[in-house]
Amino acid sequence: MIRLSGRLRASLIIGGQGIRARKLRTFLSMVSLFLGVLAVVVVQAGAEIANRAMLADVELYQGKDGTRQMYLSPEGQTVPVALEVLKGRTDSVAMTSARAIIGEPGVKPINEGGGPIDQPGGGGGRMTCDENGCYPIEDGNAGSPQGQAIELQLVGLTGDIRQFRPFRPSQGRWLDFGGEPSLAPRLVLNLEAAKAFSRYQVPAEMRVDGATANPTPQFVGVVDDGGYQPTAYVRSDELLNWLPVTSMSDSRSGPGLQVLMTPAAVEVEHVLRARLVAAGTPADRLHVDTVKTLERMSTELALLRWIFLGMAALVLMIGVAGILNVGLATVGERIEEFALRRAVGTPRLLLAGIVLAETLLTGLLTAALAIGAGVVGLKLALMLFGSRFPALEGTAFPWQAGVAGVIAGLVAGVLGGLVPALRAARIPIATVMRA
Amino acid sequence: MTTSPLLVPPPPLIHLSGVTKTLKGQDEPRAILSGVDLTVHAGDSVAILGRSGSGKSTLLSLIGLFDRPDGGQYLLGDRDITKIPERKAAALRSAEFGFVFQRFFLLKHLTAAQNVAMALVNGQGWLPRRKRKAKVLAALERVGIGHLAKHKPPRLSGGEQQRVAIARALVREPRILLADEPTGALDTETGNLVVEVLRQATDVGCGLVLVTHDHDHAAKMGRVLHLSDGLLRPAGQRVVA
Repeated sequence: MIRLSGRLRASLIIGGQGIRARKLRTFLSMVSLFLGVLAVVVVQAGAEIANRAMLADVELYQGKDGTRQMYLSPEGQTVPVALEVLKGRTDSVAMTSARAIIGEPGVKPINEGGGPIDQPGGGGGRMTCDENGCYPIEDGNAGSPQGQAIELQLVGLTGDIRQFRPFRPSQGRWLDFGGEPSLAPRLVLNLEAAKAFSRYQVPAEMRVDGATANPTPQFVGVVDDGGYQPTAYVRSDELLNWLPVTSMSDSRSGPGLQVLMTPAAVEVEHVLRARLVAAGTPADRLHVDTVKTLERMSTELALLRWIFLGMAALVLMIGVAGILNVGLATVGERIEEFALRRAVGTPRLLLAGIVLAETLLTGLLTAALAIGAGVVGLKLALMLFGSRFPALEGTAFPWQAGVAGVIAGLVAGVLGGLVPALRAARIPIATVMRA
Repeated sequence: MTTSPLLVPPPPLIHLSGVTKTLKGQDEPRAILSGVDLTVHAGDSVAILGRSGSGKSTLLSLIGLFDRPDGGQYLLGDRDITKIPERKAAALRSAEFGFVFQRFFLLKHLTAAQNVAMALVNGQGWLPRRKRKAKVLAALERVGIGHLAKHKPPRLSGGEQQRVAIARALVREPRILLADEPTGALDTETGNLVVEVLRQATDVGCGLVLVTHDHDHAAKMGRVLHLSDGLLRPAGQRVVA
């Protein structure tokens, strides 16, 4: 062990001396290798960042990996049963969905149908489709004039949904599920709804389909939920003050009733199933899906990543050829030195180790430079373009890219140094020393 | 009758008997050594004279384990190293031999001290930096150029460079010093100085084998041998046809 350590130290000392003695050649080797290592670093960093950014966006509306979700048709006693079973639970959340119009009383909303606010003509009138075709939904605003009101999807929650969908906070605060429900429903808007209300600052009356009266809502915060339709999130118990439980979820206004559960919430699932079946929901309609976004996306991205890594590897090979070329030329020039080292007792293996140590150190130095360039490049890119891509906000240089850069540098060092190392080890002492 | 251990002579440092070597190049194989016998004891100094191409350097490369003989026997102490594998030969070169060449073979990018330290940083054991430095300085002092430790070879004269090379050969305190025409690139005065430095090594029990063309330098050695026709004979002895 001590012997190995001595040899390792000897190869590093002599390799370092060799690099210092041939600074220009080392620099030229690094130049030829730099682009290759940088390509590997950039591809790996790009793939990781793209992966994270896409995943972050997808998680907002599809949920984190492992989340189990159940979609229920809001018929009969489904909604009351679900709300009762899930009330106060932290490992499961029920989401109801209703249509709401917030704004001037008695007017048609600006975005009739609840579409994006910037979409010309709003979303158009609401439609519902069945086996006979699609037709408009009759509502109380049919004959009203268009005025300053925003139509949005009102999502009632029995608990904090952010453990399943990591909404990005934008302004204000998130819903507090701890205290008593407020008579004035507290709403958290998504970015599209917030944009609408910042453009149309209207008297706040909230009309909800099926409500017994129109409450005055409070806007407490804004989040990025990844959605493009105006949406507001509210505690379901605050909504129940104004809405009969049977009107809480309308399949025409959204996905109906959705239940999100952690992987560990098996007991809740069993209770919910049993209660729903007892309340008349056919058991064969109760399906639980598990979110596997990361797995699916990884498979999709892997192919792309390998294609780009293959291209980067080609560029790296050009760098390796550069190191190899310089290495062979250097060994040719250093025949006497290597013969002399053998003469004073340096084993062949250590001679090969010295040459490899030089190319490995060159590879590592290049990797350090390429990683540094990657870090600086990412910071510059975020400074210049970060505002256009909110998902990239706060993105750090992925450690995987650093590791890939170091591996690329080491591999290039080994590949570029192996043949010169073998040549150095085979230099005959007698021939050279006699010359 | 019993023999006192004190009367048993120690084994020679090296003992070659009937050593042969044939060089196989592109032309016809050429017998260089045809049965060389040589014994060197501790403190011996041996000069080997001979014409160019007579096989002096080949003989030295066999003694120094740069190469292996085709036949005969080579004993180092009482150990037969005729067919020693390269890995073990490298260890022996490091531990037992010191080499001085006609061309000094100093690395230009290293200082005199670093050139000497080359023999210590060779993967054969490890010395801490401080001990290494002390040994290097002692070796340089021994050849009288301790003050030039930080100088690089291009700033040294030929004689100084050769003394750095001798310090490199002595730094591991070898038992045998092999010098292949060490004064070939030096003027007479400097050459004499270098030979004297080499000879002084024998005072502390080191064996010295000096290959030279210079009869004056050879005369300063304890024994003078002549290599011709592949055989080693005492100088002055005629070859009987």
